[in-house]
Amino acid sequence: MHITHLLTADRIACQQDLTSKKRVLEALAGLLAASIPSLAEVDIFDSLLNRERLGSTGLGTGVAIPHGRMTGIDAPVGAIITLKNGVDYDAVDHQPVDLLFALVVPEASTDEHLQILAALARMFSDRKLCENLRASQDAEQLLRALDGWELHRATA
Amino acid sequence: MDIVNQFILLAAGLLLLSILASALSARVGMPLLLVFLSIGMLIGDEGLGGIVFADIRTAYLVGSVALAVILFDGGLRTDVRNFRVGLRPALSLATLGVLLTALITGLFAAWVLGLSWLEGLLIGAIVGSTDAAAVFSLLHSRGLELKQRVGATLEIESGSNDPMAVFLTIVLVEALLAGQTRLGWDVVWVFVVQMGLGAVFGLAGGRLLSLVINRMQLSPGLYPLVALSGGVTIFASASVLGGSGFLAAYLAGLVVANRPLQAGQNILRFHDGMAWLAQITMFLVLGLFANPTALLGSALPALLIAAVLMLVARPLAVWLSLLPFRFPRQEQLFISWVGLRGAVPIVLALFPLMAGLDNAWIFFNVAFFVVLVSLVLQGWTVTPAARWLKLEVPTGSGVIQRVELDVPGEFDRELVGYRLDGESPAAKATRLPLLPEGVRYAAVLRDHQPLDTCGLAELQAGDYVYLLAKHDDLPALDGLFSAAPDIERDAATRYFGEFIINGDARLEDLAQVYGFVLPEEVHGHTVTELFATRFGRRQVVGDRIVLGTVELVVRETEGAEVSRAGLKLSH
Repeated sequence: MHITHLLTADRIACQQDLTSKKRVLEALAGLLAASIPSLAEVDIFDSLLNRERLGSTGLGTGVAIPHGRMTGIDAPVGAIITLKNGVDYDAVDHQPVDLLFALVVPEASTDEHLQILAALARMFSDRKLCENLRASQDAEQLLRALDGWELHRATA
Repeated sequence: MDIVNQFILLAAGLLLLSILASALSARVGMPLLLVFLSIGMLIGDEGLGGIVFADIRTAYLVGSVALAVILFDGGLRTDVRNFRVGLRPALSLATLGVLLTALITGLFAAWVLGLSWLEGLLIGAIVGSTDAAAVFSLLHSRGLELKQRVGATLEIESGSNDPMAVFLTIVLVEALLAGQTRLGWDVVWVFVVQMGLGAVFGLAGGRLLSLVINRMQLSPGLYPLVALSGGVTIFASASVLGGSGFLAAYLAGLVVANRPLQAGQNILRFHDGMAWLAQITMFLVLGLFANPTALLGSALPALLIAAVLMLVARPLAVWLSLLPFRFPRQEQLFISWVGLRGAVPIVLALFPLMAGLDNAWIFFNVAFFVVLVSLVLQGWTVTPAARWLKLEVPTGSGVIQRVELDVPGEFDRELVGYRLDGESPAAKATRLPLLPEGVRYAAVLRDHQPLDTCGLAELQAGDYVYLLAKHDDLPALDGLFSAAPDIERDAATRYFGEFIINGDARLEDLAQVYGFVLPEEVHGHTVTELFATRFGRRQVVGDRIVLGTVELVVRETEGAEVSRAGLKLSH
């Protein structure tokens, strides 16, 4: 599973200035909707928000992975936003979140969905990587950091 | 004069040696009590020291006082909140469990030693109870955090089952003294008197004691002494009137610690030390009293009795006593294995010696040997067994460095101090961390200078932070102000899963997001209801249920309800 296959540069936004969990989820839905013509931004937003209602997807240490399952797409799609200042996200450790990876998957793919989520959670437990992602100024830099990490993982 | 000084030198030197040896035993993982017992035997008349000590009454006196102190301290440390999950199972173990253990072990002992069945039962009764000191010290040792249901049950059991063993022993010794060959119904009356008086003295005495402590204006150093002397007084008055002093001491500690208490921290810390002193003294003296060559003489039958006790009697007793409570199998196995025997059997084995029964020395040697085997085998393997049976809960508070201070005149709040670790969430945040409700900053010191907490923008690594908080807030504060190392956080993720699900989340919604088919019988349920149906009122952190492709693990409870569960994707 390559995380970078889920991403393209236009679904990455670095150093954003957003002030609430809702705004961040809207922004993520926006990024995803722009490259999935079959889906409306508001539906993606609803899907992510409905998942948050079950329990925060904040993993702790400032990272969150909002996610949802949706009809109308045929492959998993991801988006990343990093924030200048963390927002209150009701995370496990009560700390503000400033690094988010949103994931939407097709209705049919249940097992793959879980595997990607587990892989993402593992990836974000690497503190060094998180620091590199947070420090990235633009999409290219962030993708390079991710690529470097996956390469390092493949060879390690 | 000289002899007095020599005695003081010997006693103090032994104490010091024992404490130093305990540091070593922590490294080897050897049960501490075993160390003290061995030192006692080593300096005895057959060991290197050559000290002759054969005074039964002194040994009994030391043993009783020490047990009273240990049980009182055990009560002080027992959290009433553990009662929800542990009280009923523990009481069943402490009464029915002890009786069954004593019966099975006793009948086997009678057969293997060729004794009358009453004498056999006496041996069973002597080794019938688990040891509070051994269990408390194991459960509170660093690095072992058990699932609450298991820890609570074991702890309350060990604190409350000694009275049952004492009662059985006394009844049997008296029956044997009177030359009886069977027990009459008056035994039941003795039981009611012992337990009833013990309970009344413990509960009423505890209330009175906490009233006295809270009302009196004393020099701070005296509060712990009031508590200690009060606890021992309650023990003794119950015993003098024919009640169970051990039960009274345990209950008194429990009542005192679970009410708002003046100088509470001070009292707890003092009793921690006193309980250690009691344990060391008791085991040294009992070790000194024992006679290693004679012990070896009973080694073979004692070994067999220990094996039956550990492998047959205890597991059977645990299984039967816990039958109504539906404990998961691993938990029953673990509780069976942690039937640690300690000082109580040795002290109880002094009863027949004092009464001058015929086979008293056989009883003593067998009991002593059984305790040794139990301490070595079970004591040494408790931690690995807990890991193996997956009963350990990751804490994140294993190595927390914090100070807790009493607030004068304010009994249920305390001052908590942290030295801020650079890796803690509070130090890494760019603004002042949000505190749990009701918690206030009392002081922040940076470079030895107090800062104005009102205008403070952020905290830095190395700051000393003092907060006014209730005891319940401590876990949340630990999470904020100390750093959970990556290893601990990863362990928590492995245990609880990647995500968090609220208790009120509907299972249908979960099934929709994660794409699994919900079993018919849980349709319309929330996460809270799911756990309540499966585990009843005794659900605890760490209980888990597999649901379709994911696993739910209880992460937080509020009262008897699950408030948050972990969601594990890969299980």
